[in-house]
Amino acid sequence: MAISDRTEELHSSLSQILTTKQGKVAITAGPATVWILLLLLAPMIFMVIVSFLEVSRETYDIIFEPTLKNYQALFDSSLGFWESPFVKALLLSYGIAIISTILCLTLAFPLAYLLAKRGGQTFKVVIFLVLLPFFTMYLVRAYSWVLMFGQGGVLNSTLLSIGLISEPIELLNYGVFAIIVGLTHAYFPYMLLTLYASLDGIDFSLVDAARDLGASRVAVMKDHILPLTAPGIVGGSLFVFVPSVGAFITPRFLGQGKVQMIGILIEGRVNGGYAIGYASAASMFVLISIVAAMVLTFRYVSIEELGGG
Amino acid sequence: MRIGHIVGMSDDTHTASSETNTTTDGFSRRTYLSAAGSATIAGLAGCAGSAGGGSTPTINIITWEEYQEMEENIEETLDVNIEITPSSSSSEMFTQWNSGQDEQFDIAVPNNNLVPNFIEADLIEPLNRDIVTAYGDMYDKFQNLAETQFSADGAVHGVPVRFGWYGYAYDTRSVPDHEPSYSIMFEEDYVDADLDGEIIMYDEANKTMPVTALYMGFEEALEGDRMTFSTDQIQQMRDRLIEQKPRLQGYISSDPTFIQEFQQGNFLVGHSGRNEIIEMRTQGADWVEYVVPQEGAMAWYETAVVSSASENKDAAWEVVNEFIAPDNGAALAKAGFSPSVNPAISEELSSEENSLYGSIDPSRLDGMIPFKAISSDVEEEYESAWEAVKSA
Amino acid sequence: MATESQESRNTDETAHESHSGLLHFRTVERILSLSLNTTAVVLIGFLWIPLAIMIFLSFAENTTTIFPFEGFTLSNYAVTVSDGAMWNAVQGSLLIATVAASIATVLGVLASLALTRYAFKFKELYRTFGIIPMVIPGIVLGLSLRIYFQEILGILPGFMTVVLAHSLYGIPFVLLIVTARLYSFDESLEEAARDLGAGPLETFKDITLPVIAPAVGAGFLFAWIRSFEDYIRALFLSGPNTNVLTIWMFSKIKNLDAPELNVVSSLIVFGIAAALAIAMNFGNVSGYVAGTVTEEEEA
Repeated sequence: MAISDRTEELHSSLSQILTTKQGKVAITAGPATVWILLLLLAPMIFMVIVSFLEVSRETYDIIFEPTLKNYQALFDSSLGFWESPFVKALLLSYGIAIISTILCLTLAFPLAYLLAKRGGQTFKVVIFLVLLPFFTMYLVRAYSWVLMFGQGGVLNSTLLSIGLISEPIELLNYGVFAIIVGLTHAYFPYMLLTLYASLDGIDFSLVDAARDLGASRVAVMKDHILPLTAPGIVGGSLFVFVPSVGAFITPRFLGQGKVQMIGILIEGRVNGGYAIGYASAASMFVLISIVAAMVLTFRYVSIEELGGG
Repeated sequence: MRIGHIVGMSDDTHTASSETNTTTDGFSRRTYLSAAGSATIAGLAGCAGSAGGGSTPTINIITWEEYQEMEENIEETLDVNIEITPSSSSSEMFTQWNSGQDEQFDIAVPNNNLVPNFIEADLIEPLNRDIVTAYGDMYDKFQNLAETQFSADGAVHGVPVRFGWYGYAYDTRSVPDHEPSYSIMFEEDYVDADLDGEIIMYDEANKTMPVTALYMGFEEALEGDRMTFSTDQIQQMRDRLIEQKPRLQGYISSDPTFIQEFQQGNFLVGHSGRNEIIEMRTQGADWVEYVVPQEGAMAWYETAVVSSASENKDAAWEVVNEFIAPDNGAALAKAGFSPSVNPAISEELSSEENSLYGSIDPSRLDGMIPFKAISSDVEEEYESAWEAVKSA
Repeated sequence: MATESQESRNTDETAHESHSGLLHFRTVERILSLSLNTTAVVLIGFLWIPLAIMIFLSFAENTTTIFPFEGFTLSNYAVTVSDGAMWNAVQGSLLIATVAASIATVLGVLASLALTRYAFKFKELYRTFGIIPMVIPGIVLGLSLRIYFQEILGILPGFMTVVLAHSLYGIPFVLLIVTARLYSFDESLEEAARDLGAGPLETFKDITLPVIAPAVGAGFLFAWIRSFEDYIRALFLSGPNTNVLTIWMFSKIKNLDAPELNVVSSLIVFGIAAALAIAMNFGNVSGYVAGTVTEEEEA
């Protein structure tokens, strides 16, 4: 009896807190704030500070003398600004990530639409089939793609043996194309499920009503569906774009070490000589550029304007 | 790395920090939260998944995966509890230990060229020869190498365990016999075969840069205990590698990927260590030939080191002694296709196994240059050069 | 809904469009339907290729290539299944992922509610910081968290630190999905409940939660999988006694044990397939996951 009394007290005091706006914000935004303050702030501060410090090449200790050397080194190259490995890696990573994101978006949207509109059996089967590959370990998936690509890979061999080509295709060799395929494949389920989650809230009977009243498919899409799913599109795109920028297992395997994306570069600096100053500076750059892009996008897809209510 | 260490003043960083857990300026670690709180949390953290061993010490080892083959044997022989954490990269071992993992582990087994880093970052103990009795059974060659490469303050700081060397392998079905030379990787007409896009180099600066140096005749910089290239030499090597890049199929560092692609026919000539090829041979690929180029080969030997922060140093050295004991050494050799530094293991192997990874005539190692770390003055340029090659 | 009035304005303009179209309405419908279905099939095929290869190879004698094919065998399974370290690693990762994802989900759902419902100071900043754990390169997050835990908090890396790190890492995933769903959430449902006298907690439990359940489930799933698959953060934040599957697997790479990799992955897939199939058929999880969709089953 005492326990249920206490839970009731808890219940009512919680409800009381939840009547005020401050209470609501505290209960909802509070926990994550605490978590982030405890866990995220410190590493970020560390990263910022270290990016302005150097690591001694002799003792591998941090030297506490602020310097801009790390940031300068990012862009410094005897071959010129645009040839600096950091700039090249960054631009390459963005390029690959953008293409992968667009691919995922265009491929996933129709499928998510299908899932959201139909239900029942179709939904169950498709979800099952889509989720299952999702659970294969990333590392092993990368391995299987290594088997597919390459001069002697499954793709080329199959095409050769059925006579469609007489020589292995260059495109199916390791490189940027293979990496894009690998990344798209790896992050596709994230895009799909995120799009599905936001399409899920759409009342398709309204869509049908609009169609019945003569609205074209394009108009319905543009005026009704896209605005409501915009957050899902943004979210899904972030899920594909961000990990793709920083990817390093996929490009290492599928690029055959020839394609240096920013994740590989940063990892190389940490493990090769413990150059965490340089690595932190590079990471700061990546972080700031992605956050800037994110903030701009969210501004465009403004919070307040959306919402069904 | 110690956060509180303020470097730039005295050179002697060998302080008593490991004894008392404080650093030179009195900044003491682990005291920010109340000791009780952190002790509880640490206890919980440590408890998840481990059974208490009572009085038997637990030795935590970070090493290559095949060491797990010896775990039971060593535990029986020595009455210790062994916990092996597998790792796939020496440089990762160093990064980990330097960012604090040295307090959790007793032994690491990095490749020889990383051991000087461990020494300089103040992470490891000098060898205790009274405990590591098998040390004297090692090939002289390795005892000498250990003395040159990992001595500090007059003491050796690591124990070699297994060794191997890097040359290259080629597919005899498409590549004709030739005088082994790195020219095959860098020059178009060295052999009568089209090798465009059929060459693999190792995906690591410390393996590929020295090879380039040997090819370009910079052997002098490879003498001594560090690689002492000049900035000019580094830039030349960088340019040569960038020139080579279009002819490459790619850079590979993972053994299974290398083997997989070689078998698939993705390339014809591959810069690799010996053990991958031995493995392929044992799997039946008799078309692969492994050679040591005339310019010289780089040799590696993995080395067991003991953490200065270890609480069971003596027990740790006993375990290290077991690594090079004949029976465990043979098990390791078999698991990794690489010979042990202790010739006595040949007694535990069959004659066929011996020819592959058992008794190796030490004179074979004479012409070989051990992998070594880059000299600190040019480390930055060296790393940037490799980065530039990978970005090209 | 706001869009309704907009549409009635548009229909006057677009009403005649469907009559002047070149193709018959039905045909267009059929083409669209067909292409949607075809896309779906092709996509699922694409998703399954590596999985199929992996399962195939796990039963094969030839471990590193598909051709030449050497025959089927169960020995790979025998070897892997008897590997105690493998089972420890699987168990460890399962536990870590589940605990971390649960924390991330609770925090993330609450935070999503805050972001989409209430206006408060620093809201944009809040959302940005909620997403940053996913943006920081893994090696840098892992390294800095480790130093933070060990040097500043005095917590040695181990099970707790991995869980904490992964719970932080999982928040953005839950946040982005649940906010996406909440944007298209019909708040009139909640208003109705309140009008009928339900308190805020009840409303949340009985109205909001069931409706956003698919999104919450998806968020949990993402956080779970990202934790399960993570290598680089776990590498820095685990201790000698922490069993992490990805670390176990990565060491296999260096040691040429590809067969074990294929087997472990196949086993995981079989396990999940069974779990999903059971959950979907009994316990009406699919009904739960499908949520409102089951109301709208249409051809």
